[in-house]
Amino acid sequence: MPTISLTVNGQPVTEEVDAPTLLVKFLREQLKLTGTHVGCDTSQCGACVVHVNGEAVKSCTMLAVQADGAEILTIESLANNGTLHPMQQAFHDKHALQCGFCTPGMVMASIALVRDNPDPSEDDVRQGLEGNLCRCTGYQNIVQAVRAGAKNMRD
Amino acid sequence: MTTVEIGQALKRSEDFRLLTGKGKYVDDISLDGEARAVILRSPHAHARIVEIDRAAAAALDGVHLIVTGQDWLAEGFGPIPTRSAVNKNKDGSPLSEPPRHCLAIDRVRYVGEAVALIVADSEKIARDALELIDVTYEELPAVTDPRKALADGAPRIWDDIPNNLCVDFELGDEAATKAAFEAADHVISLDVENNRVTGVPIEPRGLVGTYDAETDTYLLYNSTQNVHAIRKTIAEDIFKISADKIHHIAPDVGGGFGAKNSVYPEPALVLYAAKQLQRPVKWIAERSESFLADTHGRNQSSKVQLALDSDGTFRALRTDTVGDIGAYCWTIGPFTPTGGSARTQGGPYAFETMYYSSRAVFTNTMPMDPYRGAGRPEGTYQIERIVEAAASQLGLDPVALRRKNLIPAEKLPMKSPMGLDIDSGNFPEVFERTLALSDRDGYSERVAASKAAGRARGFAIAPYLECTGGGPKEFAGIQFAADGTITLSVGSQGTGTGHETAMPQILSAKLGLPVEKIRYRQGDTDATPLGGGHGGSRCLEVGGGAVVRATEAVIDKAKAIAAHLLNSQADDISFADGQFSDAKTNQSTPMEEVVRASFETGRLPQDMEPGCLDSDAIFERGIISCPNGCHAAEVEVDPETGAVAVANYWIVDDFGTIINPLLADGQVMGGVAQGIGQALYEDAVYDEDTGQLLAGSLMDYALPRADLIPNMVIRYYEDAPTAKNPLGVKGAGEAGCCPAPPVIVNAILNALKPYGVTDLSMPVTSEKVWQAIHDAKP
Repeated sequence: MPTISLTVNGQPVTEEVDAPTLLVKFLREQLKLTGTHVGCDTSQCGACVVHVNGEAVKSCTMLAVQADGAEILTIESLANNGTLHPMQQAFHDKHALQCGFCTPGMVMASIALVRDNPDPSEDDVRQGLEGNLCRCTGYQNIVQAVRAGAKNMRD
Repeated sequence: MTTVEIGQALKRSEDFRLLTGKGKYVDDISLDGEARAVILRSPHAHARIVEIDRAAAAALDGVHLIVTGQDWLAEGFGPIPTRSAVNKNKDGSPLSEPPRHCLAIDRVRYVGEAVALIVADSEKIARDALELIDVTYEELPAVTDPRKALADGAPRIWDDIPNNLCVDFELGDEAATKAAFEAADHVISLDVENNRVTGVPIEPRGLVGTYDAETDTYLLYNSTQNVHAIRKTIAEDIFKISADKIHHIAPDVGGGFGAKNSVYPEPALVLYAAKQLQRPVKWIAERSESFLADTHGRNQSSKVQLALDSDGTFRALRTDTVGDIGAYCWTIGPFTPTGGSARTQGGPYAFETMYYSSRAVFTNTMPMDPYRGAGRPEGTYQIERIVEAAASQLGLDPVALRRKNLIPAEKLPMKSPMGLDIDSGNFPEVFERTLALSDRDGYSERVAASKAAGRARGFAIAPYLECTGGGPKEFAGIQFAADGTITLSVGSQGTGTGHETAMPQILSAKLGLPVEKIRYRQGDTDATPLGGGHGGSRCLEVGGGAVVRATEAVIDKAKAIAAHLLNSQADDISFADGQFSDAKTNQSTPMEEVVRASFETGRLPQDMEPGCLDSDAIFERGIISCPNGCHAAEVEVDPETGAVAVANYWIVDDFGTIINPLLADGQVMGGVAQGIGQALYEDAVYDEDTGQLLAGSLMDYALPRADLIPNMVIRYYEDAPTAKNPLGVKGAGEAGCCPAPPVIVNAILNALKPYGVTDLSMPVTSEKVWQAIHDAKP
């Protein structure tokens, strides 16, 4: 089995992985970081979005071995000693989550979106989150949260 | 200390867990020694199972168990019964209920039907083994269209069920309706199709089961909406053991929408495997498996007829429906196209008489069970489409026609011709408020702007009336701890709907106790002695009702303690704003002090024991509630491409008392989004020739995305709370997807009127719109 070394949420990790293991399976099953979710098998839903070297990536679309040497951030990395990340806080304030299953991917995708576009319009957010499915909220509060989160991140 | 009020937009207490990746969904639970289960599913819509050769699979290293339908029968396990409330034909004979076992016995009847269970050390090994099982099938003719299934000579799904008819049904006065139609000036007829859709909660179904040989008990973690009822069926009907042998827990559930309310085969299979192997067993559905093997909804074909006078007054409504239920009765499948669709026929309009008839029909497809609304969205679509058609055909203003026929406020309370008890509401007022909200004055300007951009704009308005459902009885228990924490346990269940916030909010408001001290328990058969789970927009109605009743029991006992503390008589004590007061002595003490005293023998009356404030209550509603409201929308259609965009969406809903507007908004927005999904995008379509599900993945089944759903403007009408439950609530969970499909389709038809398009079927895809425009061209 190949061995990979990478940084996950700031911690160095060296692990043996079965070569066909997807990054999402590696995070969930080997590192027990279960905040990243699997909602489909065709890379449509976006529940598994994490940051790989600062980019939002659907972690079901890459193999763990491809993340060798990478810096990975998952939803578990965001809150700091009980203080929510400004984007997490905005999701809470705007009631932008219901069942919470799409939420980790949605939040990670939103942070990457705002990093590329610090003051996104409503359309920017709606287009930018096309790769993330939510079945509960009808998206309206998510869109508001991302714009509020963007403001929080700017301030 | 933070006490909160009813009606406050309290932010959710469950959010922190869910936002930080600390939610606990079934797939996040891993137990030592866990084995993985996978299900071999039928690739055929209809076939005889000739032989199952499992030798190669069983020989694979790490494979521990392979179970077929014949193995299952040999264990003596029972079939899963239907619980359909409509269980008799019109002539009084029982509905046709074929046996539904957890695995197909000798024949498969839909693509995706479970054929064998495979359990191995890992998911990978289990999947490899699945590939090695060699099933010899003899294919049989299949039928997926319920209308064709009813025809003489159609393939029979069940040998002993003629015409594939499960049950026929009627409600209302057939003779009076016939007479009203004969006497009416106009009769409008329309064939109305409700397309087949499915719930698609983003968390797929999943299970972890264990068995403890010492106590002969099972533990089941299940992504389900209903722990008690499902446990009862698994235990008593399948395994023939007592229900208390199974501890059933729903941890965080990633959405349900009805699709997690059924008794599926997988939980019993997983528990059986856990017992056979004496180790935990996990099963997690793949998304493609969810499309094949989660229940579907809607799929009703209806002939709707409206009789009206020349002045536009509605006289009578007649609907005849063919409702698909798939290959089995499933949990309550036959109810939806019968009783479920009948109850709210006619919506909020006044009718002298109505008649509803329907047939629930078997097809070679995944069975149907409730999907958000379960019959009421279908009924709303039927009435709103026929009203719009009547206005169009008779040259009447659709707004004026609706206004004219709404049930006047002074007619309430009343019973509808379908027997629905409509106790409260003000349909004309809600209608006018919706119109006012939708800026009719600015409409012509918006139409002109659309036109200038090459697009056609259309408007529609849809008042609706629906009803609650689900189990009528609910339990709530309040337990106090000496450290000041309070545990609230309720038998209803949230699946993302915010009960962990709303139920403690009710408790805090009623008792004046700090909301952050309240722990909430739900979805656990050990937490409550009974529970009706999630479904039918019932949770605030009956679960919230039970919480109120339990707080009343606490207050009664607390008054005696307060009287003792204040040297008063209990009869002189009143309770308000968290304070017990004696007006005669002008003394008072807060609830928190009474709770503290309740743990100190020396401060209690002689006949009361420490811990005595703990209180349980069961609330049982007598009659279902009637959520209602009115939605309006504007759409823009690009005639060049047929693309439709929802430009504006306005809502005035009457859910009675609003407990938490933040959560209510969330329910409305989500429901409307699902309604728009059905109207424009979603279609769980089977290939008629092969019976294969064509929409078998998220690449084929179009779930609405962020750029396809509009912003909604939401208002509540709160002046007509219901007296049917202690909170005055009417249920908010399913309402949104009732008016959304017709308001969108009617707005599109309104936009396309100049093009001569008079009918479109859901989902109204751009291809259909383009084709309709070109077909209508002279």
